[in-house]
Amino acid sequence: MTVCSTAFETLGRSQARALGCPDLPLAFVPHPFGSIAREKLRPVAEDVAKQIETVLAAKARQGAAASAAATKAARAMRMSVPDDVELLHCMFMDEGIGDGLPVIPPTPERVARMLKGTLRAPDEVIAALGPAYGLATVEHIAINAVMAGCKPEAMELLISIVDAIAAPEFNLQGVQATTNPAAVWAVVSGPVAKRVGVNAGTNCLGPGTHANIGIGRALRLMMLNIGGATPGVMDRATQGQPGKFSMICAENEDDTPWQTLGVERGIAAGVSSVTMVGFSGTLNMNTHSKEPEDILRCFSDSMAHAPSNDYWCGGEPWIIFAPEHANILSAAGYSKADVKQKLWDYSLMPASRMAAKDMERTIRTRKSELGVITADTLLPITTEVNRIGVICAGGPGTHSVYVPGFGNSRSVTRAVRDPG
Amino acid sequence: MSMIEICDPRSGPSAAVHSAGGVASLLGKVVGFIDNTKPNFNHLVDDLAEILLANHGVKKVLKRGKRVQSIPAPEAVYSELHAEADVVITGSGD
Repeated sequence: MTVCSTAFETLGRSQARALGCPDLPLAFVPHPFGSIAREKLRPVAEDVAKQIETVLAAKARQGAAASAAATKAARAMRMSVPDDVELLHCMFMDEGIGDGLPVIPPTPERVARMLKGTLRAPDEVIAALGPAYGLATVEHIAINAVMAGCKPEAMELLISIVDAIAAPEFNLQGVQATTNPAAVWAVVSGPVAKRVGVNAGTNCLGPGTHANIGIGRALRLMMLNIGGATPGVMDRATQGQPGKFSMICAENEDDTPWQTLGVERGIAAGVSSVTMVGFSGTLNMNTHSKEPEDILRCFSDSMAHAPSNDYWCGGEPWIIFAPEHANILSAAGYSKADVKQKLWDYSLMPASRMAAKDMERTIRTRKSELGVITADTLLPITTEVNRIGVICAGGPGTHSVYVPGFGNSRSVTRAVRDPG
Repeated sequence: MSMIEICDPRSGPSAAVHSAGGVASLLGKVVGFIDNTKPNFNHLVDDLAEILLANHGVKKVLKRGKRVQSIPAPEAVYSELHAEADVVITGSGD
């Protein structure tokens, strides 16, 4: 059974249903439970003990619920909907389908055209997406791609994206259900970027590029419609963030002085790949400096902030270097590995900068990695230097971007097949 | 109203469904806890352990945990609790 804080009852019940135990007994503590003073917890515990006894006995009297085998992959259901986009939009809002924006109706004819972007069978299961663990078949991916306005050329990229976010180390369950403003960012490397038209240059994280918006939105639609992360139900973000609508760019391979991320991750040069990152925001780092050490010191200062998830759990921070900044560093002899090492060194943060409560959890969480942590301990932002992500993207300008990690997620890279 | 046919973008839960079961009484039972590492849950587990042992006839309490809240516990924890506990309790929320 689960002890659930009252504000999270819907998450507790939805999660139990999604994981195949719809009758899981629940007991409740008042929310926010974590803020209750230690000396006031005893009466709460006495109440919870009574709830435990009561709900378990009630469940025993009620007997076992019906069981069922795991659902097998099936072709998508058909729906009869109004032939009017405004009425369809209202219907989708009423039924909790989609991201709140109007969609292109996924008629069977449009889905069939989308499926021409891959040679795979429509009923091939690519992954089960948490927290609802719905099955993402090729057909379901195509349906959501139609709704988002994608072109068929994007299908293999979308399939690799789905495969990557379902990897255990990505922790999609955590990314989707957390109170953090966690979102998912796709970094595209190799020839697929130009073939599909993913923007790597000016405004690559902004609006106006069809592929970036369409693919990022299709991913979000899948996370909602297949992954079940309905806002307020299983998506429990305190505020969320606009990157949850779409966050995708390509590496600026024309202007980067460094090895691409795909090659860095073991993908052969000339082979397409996508790297999926669980992140929690973006921060503009604008410096006109031409001095490599100045640039890296200032960027590291931006990374080292006390309430960062990356410091308390050993996360995965990323920097998107503007081509101008990357080329200043490269011209001065800094390889990507050198840059990561400098960012690591300069972003070491005294544990004393944290709030006492956060230092307590850091001591517990990073004990096996760092040993005894005291107020004087210099905390690294992540567990190893190479976990600092570095790419080059964007157009002209002196703006690089700090992308703090979600914390409990590891980026995952997957090759992207040619469509055949 | 004119209607059209579309493909449903949703895909429901895929997990096998099984019942959680219950226990008529906690008397003589072994209760396992998985501390989710959220603030105060460790204290709640400590207090519950004392109360369940003293007032509800529980025979034994097993306290286990995980490294951080949003990742699963080690597989060994599940195996141990599956083998030894009659009831397993964990936490959700803040």
